[in-house]
Amino acid sequence: MSGTTILKAQGLELWRGKKAVLRGFDLELTPGAVTVLLGRNGGGKSSFLRACLGLLPWRRGTLEVLGLDPRRRQRQVLEQVGYVPDVPDAYEWMKARELMRFLAPHYPSWDAAEAERCLERFHVPHDVPLAGLSRGQGALLMLAAALAPKPKLLLLDEPFAGLDAVAREEVLRALIGALGEGEERSVLCTTHDLDVAARIADRIAWLEDGRIREHGTLPEVLGATDDEELAGAPRRLAEKFLGVEMSSHA
Amino acid sequence: MLRLRVDSTSTVPPSRQLVEGVLDAIARGALEEGARLPSVRELAAEALVNPNTVAKAYRELQWLGAVRARNGSGVFVAEQGTDIAVDARRSATLEEFARAAETALRAGHTKGELQRVLREFEA
Repeated sequence: MSGTTILKAQGLELWRGKKAVLRGFDLELTPGAVTVLLGRNGGGKSSFLRACLGLLPWRRGTLEVLGLDPRRRQRQVLEQVGYVPDVPDAYEWMKARELMRFLAPHYPSWDAAEAERCLERFHVPHDVPLAGLSRGQGALLMLAAALAPKPKLLLLDEPFAGLDAVAREEVLRALIGALGEGEERSVLCTTHDLDVAARIADRIAWLEDGRIREHGTLPEVLGATDDEELAGAPRRLAEKFLGVEMSSHA
Repeated sequence: MLRLRVDSTSTVPPSRQLVEGVLDAIARGALEEGARLPSVRELAAEALVNPNTVAKAYRELQWLGAVRARNGSGVFVAEQGTDIAVDARRSATLEEFARAAETALRAGHTKGELQRVLREFEA
């Protein structure tokens, strides 16, 4: 696999209606790392993920996903990339196993045993249609579906938005379980949950005014050189990127 | 079973919290010598942190001599792991105690008051 780009955007310009949401957007993912894409709501994070899946066109620049142009080779990209949307995008009447059976033929690398394992591990109810699942269960079902083809690249769009504390923890635990050790799985996750970012991120990319303003390891973007200084990362991320002054209770 | 949750708001870095949590479990006998620690992936899911953070903590514990990695089969509490953990915890808790005493003195408590607190433990 060495030599193949996981995900690379160069000079990307993407418009929604009359507004350029991305402009001069450069980002290259580090293979095997969890990259958290931070930025304000409406800042273009979701649009970027959808462009990576060939679902949105861009006006300028280049975008490569697993070495492929997602617009020209959308089918191959969709087959190889796991995607968890912010709101489940499957048929509401489908139950967990029906959804898996429905998706399986679309993915050459689909692993039915892995799908079943994920459903078990995430405690997704088998007999309830998607419409009847809680938000957290819906997110877990979509995560299980995304993991079943054992993707090299996992794209997650605000998987923790709108979840209560218990569900948030369940989704976080499921996601961390899917990261594995030393496995060649790269993850790009958008979120505005800084606690989640501090827990899972190897790398942070900060999106502002349509472009990536900063990208580096979590210690790097916080101006640290070694992990020993990394206590209180959520607070430090808030101070750095949101300009929030937090009271410190040292 | 090792129940460790990393507090991301703490002033102690996440991997350090895991090191201290494991040392604590070994020192109080919850993990005996020769016992197998959870896999990196298991502990990451339990503590809700990136597996790399756990791997870093395990390397640190290995460096301290409290645990030993057996190739392929996992990470285990080392022989003499309990002594090492007890020593490590002792010096850490004594430091914490000294820091707390310092804070109390700065806040205006007298040495006499602190000594009274200590004497209450004797009773």
